[in-house]
Amino acid sequence: MSIPHDTFECGHTLEELSQYLDTGDFPDPRHLETCPDCRNGLDSLRRLSTAGSELLSKDLAEAGSGNDDWMKDILANLKLELRPGRSIPLRSEHPADTLTETEGSVLALVRSVTDLAPGAVAGRVRLEGDVTVPGEAITVNLDLAVAFGNPLLGSAEALRQDLGEALARHTELNIAAIDITITDVIDTPREEP
Amino acid sequence: MRDQLDLVPDAILAGRAADGDTAAFEALARRYGPHMRACARRLTGQYADADDVVQEALVQAWKQLESLRDPAAVKGWLLRLTGSRSIDYLRRRRNHTSLSALEEGGAGREPAAAAPGPESSAVAASGTEALKAALSLLPEEQRRCWVLKEFNGQSYEQIAQTLNISPASVRGRLARARITLVREMEGWR
Repeated sequence: MSIPHDTFECGHTLEELSQYLDTGDFPDPRHLETCPDCRNGLDSLRRLSTAGSELLSKDLAEAGSGNDDWMKDILANLKLELRPGRSIPLRSEHPADTLTETEGSVLALVRSVTDLAPGAVAGRVRLEGDVTVPGEAITVNLDLAVAFGNPLLGSAEALRQDLGEALARHTELNIAAIDITITDVIDTPREEP
Repeated sequence: MRDQLDLVPDAILAGRAADGDTAAFEALARRYGPHMRACARRLTGQYADADDVVQEALVQAWKQLESLRDPAAVKGWLLRLTGSRSIDYLRRRRNHTSLSALEEGGAGREPAAAAPGPESSAVAASGTEALKAALSLLPEEQRRCWVLKEFNGQSYEQIAQTLNISPASVRGRLARARITLVREMEGWR
């Protein structure tokens, strides 16, 4: 047995070595280079860590793919509640009618227009300003992921125009600005058509 | 490119999901579901109930996504939720079972469909089989710390929160778990 006691003759413990592997903290780091007991202990702990990684890989393989039936069943059971967000008032022909659209539907509109742009996927969308007050100046903040190799600046300009038109057509928001931030690059597989 | 959500970085998916995009949330679930499942199986020792735990974690994730400060860290967050829901599951089950049978190191350790019995360690063909056998012999509290650390990559502080104990206790339990596992696996070397 290479590890007969929790405390070695040098006075250090396996608990200290265990913490050292996780955090890099050790009272006397240079001691570890020369002490045979501590080196032995570290070797054992590192082998255990390797076996742990292998077990995780094996368990992951056994867990199957996220595209398999078990995940489809889980997703079917989730019944995700919608997130309507704020209520945005709409003009109505009859004063007695109260018409609104949800902020969530506007966010979905921004996402769907953005996703149609070549090589672009929308991330988080923010409507800044009080959308519950008709005519308030609203700034749209859009996070964007762009496929690797896409000309970033040109596509952002065209997208801003598309978004402006879609928002004018489908909402009554007074859009003051559309700020697009490219936050991520998508690595598409080379064999994609 | 919406049909390519499976290629999109985590932060983008998490941002969309927080905005209410169910398709983005499902893409995240498909991406990390297998890891959540592996974690839940190893923590609960139950294949059948692990999927319920994953489902509970996903329900909670959907409700709380808006509170996730760093959307790029969504993987670790989903795994932490899975760990917490697994521990909840074990506590619920403990309440349904005789307490004496579940004392640490006693006869009530996890039935562990995931782990072979101790007798198979003698003929373990690989390090992972030996580790599985050794894990099944660990006291429950130590095994939880080990799985949360090695499978979920949680910090001492995060494990402490999940288990409602101090970080110093986490350090001690993790060390004891590793010492026992190393000893049990000497035969494998």
